Amino acid sequence: MNDTILKQVVKIIAPCIQLFGIYVILYGHISPGGGFAGGTIIAASFILQHITFGKAYADSLLNEGRALKLISISLIAYGVLKAYSFFGDYFDLPHTPTGIPGNIFSGGFILPLNILIGIIVTSTIYILYSLFSNE
Amino acid sequence: MRYLICIGITLIIIIALLIGANELPPFGNPENPEHNELSRGYIENAMSDTGAKNIVSAIILDYRALDTFIEATVLFTGVIVVMTVLKK
Repeated sequence: MNDTILKQVVKIIAPCIQLFGIYVILYGHISPGGGFAGGTIIAASFILQHITFGKAYADSLLNEGRALKLISISLIAYGVLKAYSFFGDYFDLPHTPTGIPGNIFSGGFILPLNILIGIIVTSTIYILYSLFSNE
Repeated sequence: MRYLICIGITLIIIIALLIGANELPPFGNPENPEHNELSRGYIENAMSDTGAKNIVSAIILDYRALDTFIEATVLFTGVIVVMTVLKK
């Protein structure tokens, strides 16, 4: 789309959407939100840039191959982290500290798992949009 | 022959699921397993067990983390199937 107003507004508003999504993911264990909600918000900003600036610009940010790699790495990391916390109880491995409830660095594995889920959801929704958009 | 095998497998799955649905507890009975002490235990112990203030996050990413893992795998499978169907 060749609309100057739209392009300028999206240039300002897209980083704000991404920042809000990152906030929702990082505070998923303190306030309502989490990986699924935050990932959808970040993917919405990528879709907005895809609509406004075209496929070539959006592919330079996040194309399908890179997104598939991100999903695979995140799924493997999720499995490894959760396997550690399940088998760690059985084999007496050191526990992850729970921290003070309310701090960002608290809650054991919940914060990294939220980030991984956010990456998976962002990549999935963006891939689905860019596969079905016919440009 | 292939159709007969498909029909047979489908019928077996349908019968197994119907037998399972037949054994479900009646709706609204106060002795049902959904009214046990588990939900109260989550509300009381979630913060001290996991250190998260948000009980929803504590449940889906700590108590029921394997369920969320399979959920993410379903998203991955969906992407793979769409790429296969669209031949990209």
